[in-house]
Amino acid sequence: MNIILRELRANLKSLLIWSGIVILFSLVGFSKFSAFYGNPELLSILDSMPAPVISTLNMNAFNLTTVTGFFGIMVMYFSLILAIAAVMWGSDTISKEERDRTVEFSLTLPVTRGRVVIAKTVAAAVNCIALLLVTWGITVVGAQNYQPDEQFYKFVSLTMLAFLFLQMIFLALGIFLGCALKRHKLAGSLAMGILLGTYFLSILSGLTKDLEFLKYFTPFKYFDAAFLLRESRLELLFILLSLGIVAVLLAAAYASYSKRDVYI
Amino acid sequence: MSIIEVNHLTKYYGKSRGIVDVSFNVEEGEIFGFIGPNGAGKSTTIRLFLSLIFPTDGDAKVFGKDCIQFGPELRQEIGYLPSEVFYYEGMKVLDLLKYSASFFKKDCTKRLHDLAELMELDLNRRISDLSYGNRKKVGIVQGLLHQPKLIILDEPTAGLDPLMQHKFFNLIREENKRGATIFFSSHILGEVQRMCNRVAIIKEGSITEIKDMKTLQKDQYKKIRVTADGLDDDIFQVEGVSEIERENGTVSFFFKGDINTITGLVSKETLSDLTIEDLTLEEIFMHYYE
Repeated sequence: MNIILRELRANLKSLLIWSGIVILFSLVGFSKFSAFYGNPELLSILDSMPAPVISTLNMNAFNLTTVTGFFGIMVMYFSLILAIAAVMWGSDTISKEERDRTVEFSLTLPVTRGRVVIAKTVAAAVNCIALLLVTWGITVVGAQNYQPDEQFYKFVSLTMLAFLFLQMIFLALGIFLGCALKRHKLAGSLAMGILLGTYFLSILSGLTKDLEFLKYFTPFKYFDAAFLLRESRLELLFILLSLGIVAVLLAAAYASYSKRDVYI
Repeated sequence: MSIIEVNHLTKYYGKSRGIVDVSFNVEEGEIFGFIGPNGAGKSTTIRLFLSLIFPTDGDAKVFGKDCIQFGPELRQEIGYLPSEVFYYEGMKVLDLLKYSASFFKKDCTKRLHDLAELMELDLNRRISDLSYGNRKKVGIVQGLLHQPKLIILDEPTAGLDPLMQHKFFNLIREENKRGATIFFSSHILGEVQRMCNRVAIIKEGSITEIKDMKTLQKDQYKKIRVTADGLDDDIFQVEGVSEIERENGTVSFFFKGDINTITGLVSKETLSDLTIEDLTLEEIFMHYYE
């Protein structure tokens, strides 16, 4: 418990900064949306745009003139922000101790390395959930001017649940890289590289039917916003896949960190 | 009972050498010196005791238990002061020490405040505002607040002023009297000589000698410099003198043996200066072992 509390306190500043980013981004988004809201001319402009552009921007499923449709577009950006925050917190929470050389203190205390990994994972997960609640809150607050209906609230809640899975996958990835890599400087950049790689895969998989199989390799496609809006449920296959990935990554993190040399 | 037992302990970092086939024992109640130049493997050995790194071969036991397998349990009774201390920069000294204390089964509050008072440590400052010496003081309090049975010191005096060094050594002696065993790694032979009962010398990853302090002192060379007008350096051609050098009327040489031989010789001269000093460890390594 003492490790968790210390980590939460140490991470607070970073949480506030990320919350600021989410809030600022939402405010800018909503202010742009005010121009589209209830504006039928926009639809005809969108219709004249080439199909791949529409697909890349994830606009085929959504009616941009309603607040539900607008949030559907925002999902893509929110997911990127939340995933980046998660993967960075994950890799940083382990590797910062080697970077700042505090590991010579923290691991010479009477604790097992496993307990350290678990406590840090819990603290980073709390951070992720807090940022998710901020995202949820600002979305609901921002939508108040645009007559949100019941479908909107349902869609937002479901999407937040999907975000939670996404965050946990990338958090686990970050933790795993922080634990497994001997060169701590590599953990953060490799984590970001993998994140951006899977993000581009998710765009590719949306472009043509031939590339659709790629969706199994990118967490960004596990819970597609269009599917969530249409079906109002998460796909069981991808829930299980997500939980499996998180479990494997965390187990590997635990095992590798318990056995490796720390470099000071 | 041996507090530390090291058996054929070997550590390679990839291909580069850490330590090779190191074996020794530290007995209960000893102050055991561990000396060697930079890069000889002192810190590697200590980090193996603390299971920060894992041995390539061999093993080390602390309190009779394997220090990898029982690491967390053993560290309840180990106090460690690293050569450079790094703590969480944003924390206040008191919060950091309380955090450290929270991992130990016993209540350390009183000892924490007593030690801080003794070392004249301001508990309300932030770690990031502290000087190198003050950080070291935090390290001393943090390493000793749980009254450990084994205290591991890795070049502990770097950064401390002479007054604090004195206080620190008194503190360590007190801990030793209380029953704590001290493992004292250093490259400053003087402090090891003053403190330790026994000493192991490590060079390029291997133990070259383990000696009783008294034996080592008897074997100890002195560095002597004599300045006098018209001094003939041939008078120093006696048993035990080596490496005579002459420079601007000053004769310097190494001497091993009864010091009265030298004082007898120089008493016939009119001296303008005379210094007799212990060799630094570096000089011993250069003169004695190569």
